[in-house]
Amino acid sequence: MTPELAGADRAAAVRAAARSWRRTGVIDDAALAAVESRFPDDRVRVGPVFRALLFLFTLIGAGAFLGFVALAMFSHQEGALALLALLAGAALWALTEVQVGHLRRRQGGVEAATSLLAIALLLGAAGWFLWSAAKLEPAGGLPALCLLAAALAGIASWRWGYPLYAAAAAAAVFVALARLPAGRVLWIALPLAAAPALLRLSASPRLAPAHRSAATAVLLVATAGLYLAVNAGTWEDQLVERLGGREPLPAPLPHAGPWWWSAAAATALVPVLVLVAGVRRRRLPLLLAGAAAAVASIVTLIRYLHLGPAWLVLTLGGALWVAVALGLWRYLESGTGQERHGFTAAPLLTDRGRQAALEAGLAVLTLHPAARPTADGHGFEGGGGRSGGGGASGEF
Amino acid sequence: MNPDAALAIPALVADGVLPAEAAPRLLRVARGELVSVHAELRALLYAGVLVLTGGVGLMVKENLDRIGPVAVAAALGLAEAAALAWTLRVAPPFSWQEVPSPNLAFDYVLLLGILLAAADLAYCEAAFGLLGAHRSWHLLIVAGIAGLAAFRFDSRVVFSLALTSLAAWRGVSLADAGAAGWNATAAWRWNAIACGILFAGLGIGLARWRRKAHFEPVAVHLGCLLALGGIASGLERPEWGGALLLAGAALAAIAYRTRRFPLFAYGVVAAYVGLTRLLVEAVHDFAAGCLWIGVSSILLVGGLMAAQRRMKEAA
Repeated sequence: MTPELAGADRAAAVRAAARSWRRTGVIDDAALAAVESRFPDDRVRVGPVFRALLFLFTLIGAGAFLGFVALAMFSHQEGALALLALLAGAALWALTEVQVGHLRRRQGGVEAATSLLAIALLLGAAGWFLWSAAKLEPAGGLPALCLLAAALAGIASWRWGYPLYAAAAAAAVFVALARLPAGRVLWIALPLAAAPALLRLSASPRLAPAHRSAATAVLLVATAGLYLAVNAGTWEDQLVERLGGREPLPAPLPHAGPWWWSAAAATALVPVLVLVAGVRRRRLPLLLAGAAAAVASIVTLIRYLHLGPAWLVLTLGGALWVAVALGLWRYLESGTGQERHGFTAAPLLTDRGRQAALEAGLAVLTLHPAARPTADGHGFEGGGGRSGGGGASGEF
Repeated sequence: MNPDAALAIPALVADGVLPAEAAPRLLRVARGELVSVHAELRALLYAGVLVLTGGVGLMVKENLDRIGPVAVAAALGLAEAAALAWTLRVAPPFSWQEVPSPNLAFDYVLLLGILLAAADLAYCEAAFGLLGAHRSWHLLIVAGIAGLAAFRFDSRVVFSLALTSLAAWRGVSLADAGAAGWNATAAWRWNAIACGILFAGLGIGLARWRRKAHFEPVAVHLGCLLALGGIASGLERPEWGGALLLAGAALAAIAYRTRRFPLFAYGVVAAYVGLTRLLVEAVHDFAAGCLWIGVSSILLVGGLMAAQRRMKEAA
């Protein structure tokens, strides 16, 4: 990432915070204008709707155009298709560089689409080389392709500041490691070794906002890898070994043996540890990961303990779920200044993007809108929470 | 956490841009020393309500014969009464304008009560045959109850439940009637389009009359999606492609003028799909189709960028 791009993202983070201060009345329009003039935006940005449309139609357009070229010129030549993918991938990589660098595009949709296509086409060409030209077995070529994917996605994330690519790179490394005989051990050891550094990096002011977000994304993937490696259900199903394409699969753990009980204990313990880390460090991504892992552990528990019919488990589980949420809300509300241990149930709106994503997810799932704000819904907006990307400069 | 804002705040205070008394709290938030879990608790409550009502639905289905019908109906009735009683107790007075929710749980407990009432009604209908041959009216009754509750308690969540229940009533009615011997797909399509227009009209009316005007986005979005989806369901015939092109273009134009960006997106995508459908009818060569999609998409990207620039300049 160039220093100019990092600086633009930092300024965008401050402007986003200032806009949230303005919404809650902490500052007036003049103060907001003063902040925006001190931290000006030198990038071409578009709002979320246009960004989504531009991303979608760039993907469709470039994909269809390449399809036309492939059909018209190389329809029966596999090697030529791979060469076309390689050349097009390299060209799109260069086009992304130009857009992010010279054209100063950021959060514009088009450059995200060209970057994604570049990585996909380069991987497609590499896949053809590994499996058709070098004639590797499918399982044998997978680790090499995963490592290449990790390298490409890692470079793209570092260079252009896309946290999602960092997550993809980490996931690709885990799949490559799963191929090794000690794959499961590495899935446990690496996250444990890397977590402290990733936690520090994800909050480091020295890193650009997008790189902090990338560290958070890698941390979440590593946590998921750790959880999958210790989960009793994945031991039984040999999920890690299957992901790595290992043949023959090692024998599953004998039920009720010491290793199986260790896995059962770890299945219960890991979510608790992740939740504790999230509470102690006040990191929402860890809290969400811990909550997701806890739900997965409960489902695993139900699988082995046969707690009762599905309706009973769902009804009691749902009731318990609602009770826990209400209890947490009342606990936080009753604290001094409506906060406890640095947490509050009041809508600080620390990250509009996170809140919008949660609401959009729920709306898509159920076709319901989010609930309205509570009476104190606009009491205070801290404007923190953005750790990457920077906000768009306007509504468009 | 926003380390960049945390670094900027002291300088902004020193320059008089930020009031000094606000700085400590802003700094705490920016440094991650004070974190809100408001959105997470809301999501947790919503998911909990859905899991709970899913369990109740399964219970009703699986225990229809085992548990006495009166016991099931009474248990559900008690649960829904408890939820609705709490809602009534804490609800603020009625107003045609937006009323802030009294607390974080209010909307979700109300939703739980309405969903339990719907399950109770469905159970009573199945066990006692309350509605006779008109069993699909169950959904119409749920839509009515949810609609009334939505207006009384000012809940957009429950309002959307009312609209989706109404649309579901049309679908189930047609299924029950064997689509009246007519072309079943066409019947569903026209019902979807009619429901979509009705919902969008309702939303526009609410906004115009200033009666729960904040419900308008729910009704208009759902209405547009239903209407466009209904038209798109006929795409096996080219004339529906033309209809989708016209409807999408009209929606995009209106949304562009009124700056309704999500609606603009629906319109653009619908118009593009409709136009492509018409061209696929005319061009049968796959490679030429790819070329059309490639060129038209890239032209559309250029058009969208120009439209975005014009909107930004006009603001």
